[in-house]
Amino acid sequence: MDSIPPVQRIIAIVWPSFITAGVATVLFTVAFDPADLFIDYDIGSLSLYTICFFLFWSLGAISSAATSYFLKPNKTINR
Amino acid sequence: MVEIKTSESKASEDKKDADAERLISAKLKKIYPREVHGLFAAFRTAGVAILLGLYYIVPWLQLDGRQAVLFDLPERKFYILNMVFWPQDFIYLTLFLIIAALGLFFVTTLAGRVWCGYACPQTVWTEAFLWIERKVEGSRQQQMKLDKAASSFRKIRIKATKHFIWISFSIYTGVTFVGYFSPMRELAFNFITFNNGPTETFWIFFYGLATYGNAGWLREQVCLHMCPYARFQSVMFDQDTMMVAFDESRGLPKGPRKKTLDKSAAGLGDCIDCTICVQVCPTGIDIRDGLQYECIGCAACIDACDDVMDKMGYDRGLIRYSTENILMGGHTHIMRPRMVVYGLILIASIAGAFYSISQRLPIGMDVIRDRNSLYRETTEGLIENVYIIKLLNMDKQDHYYTLSVEGIPDLILKKDTAEVVVKSGEVVELPVRVQVDAYNLKQRSNEILFTLNAVGFDDLMVVEEARFLGPTFR
Repeated sequence: MDSIPPVQRIIAIVWPSFITAGVATVLFTVAFDPADLFIDYDIGSLSLYTICFFLFWSLGAISSAATSYFLKPNKTINR
Repeated sequence: MVEIKTSESKASEDKKDADAERLISAKLKKIYPREVHGLFAAFRTAGVAILLGLYYIVPWLQLDGRQAVLFDLPERKFYILNMVFWPQDFIYLTLFLIIAALGLFFVTTLAGRVWCGYACPQTVWTEAFLWIERKVEGSRQQQMKLDKAASSFRKIRIKATKHFIWISFSIYTGVTFVGYFSPMRELAFNFITFNNGPTETFWIFFYGLATYGNAGWLREQVCLHMCPYARFQSVMFDQDTMMVAFDESRGLPKGPRKKTLDKSAAGLGDCIDCTICVQVCPTGIDIRDGLQYECIGCAACIDACDDVMDKMGYDRGLIRYSTENILMGGHTHIMRPRMVVYGLILIASIAGAFYSISQRLPIGMDVIRDRNSLYRETTEGLIENVYIIKLLNMDKQDHYYTLSVEGIPDLILKKDTAEVVVKSGEVVELPVRVQVDAYNLKQRSNEILFTLNAVGFDDLMVVEEARFLGPTFR
């Protein structure tokens, strides 16, 4: 576990969630126009897509980070 | 042009250096790829010039008074040359991605990782960054010396110059990227005058940072840790796949020697162990260890080794594009079941995509049931459902639409006007009421069909299904 370099660990959290966020944003915004969903807020369309993307990215990153955290071998916890 | 050291002491020293470098690179230390010239380096330079050229020029091109390629998110329309894609055309994006994946499988099975070596954006931008680095810091040796040297005014000046050029180039790359989503001319003008909105500005710097980080700092780490393709390449490779390979039967036993030495008498192969193939490698591997997932198939080692072979007076191709079958003394079969199957699926998908795009109707309709009530009874005692009909006109001309409905006997369609005009490229929301005598309803939920027709164009017709809900008294 400790043999995984930090760079690889960070990439393993940030990168798959980035890709997933891209796919999720495309799928979500094809089905729903963000401008319709947030019609009450005075936010530009481009900003809405951006918020959408980063929301998905942070969700994915949280999931990846949790996965990475729980991959720690059980035996090392009591030490 | 690489200079070779043929004297024994020099070569073993280099070998030690190379081994040390491999250890260091395992600990994520910087790799200094040595400059290389030759046929494949020329291919790569051509790839870089064409691909980067396209990337930076395309957003500036105009067509029919608009930007030729623009992914207009606020308008929800993608302009690609003379075509306009709407969210309803999502299927074509999916098709395009499937074709791209199949194309990659096909090319990889045939020719190995040529994508990585010549066309991958990571390779292309890294090459550009390496070129800048060489112009500023000098050759591989000079770069290594500079990095080892103590801090000095000269070192800071050189490093600052390099990063300034890198960052400027990255930011311009960011501007260009945003130019695919926001009109380029306006964007560039606003960028110079600091008038861009926060979102545009954010993306310019975000993309710029990604470029700077990936091409300037991470480089081969991207291929090693971020690229899924590198990891599943073995699925696509077979014994006839072209790959960069060291010819062991010819090269071994390796060893340094004087140019005048009779190698067969000395029991040596063609490899003089000069380690130049290792020095030029952008991912820092030794190709003589065989096929490795780190190898991006850039063929820098081929160019470098050919140069050395020329200088030694040996035949070229000690490291060359080859296949496992050839290296084992057999023959390569280009036509093989895997190639045929990949090829046929690829051709079928491309043909399918072209056919369906050519058959694409420029009109469209979305039927949305009113969510507030399932149904209601009119004063005449009829059952009524309310729908919002979105009428799309993706054509280059305005259209008059007529709408009709069927599926239940004696359906009545109530709307404000008989014909609706929808201008080119616009969407009109039309509320309609559909009424029917409850006697005609056989069940609670009934299928009805809306038919949209552009007046004067019999072939422009769209049919959409919808549900008509009624009471449950039967």
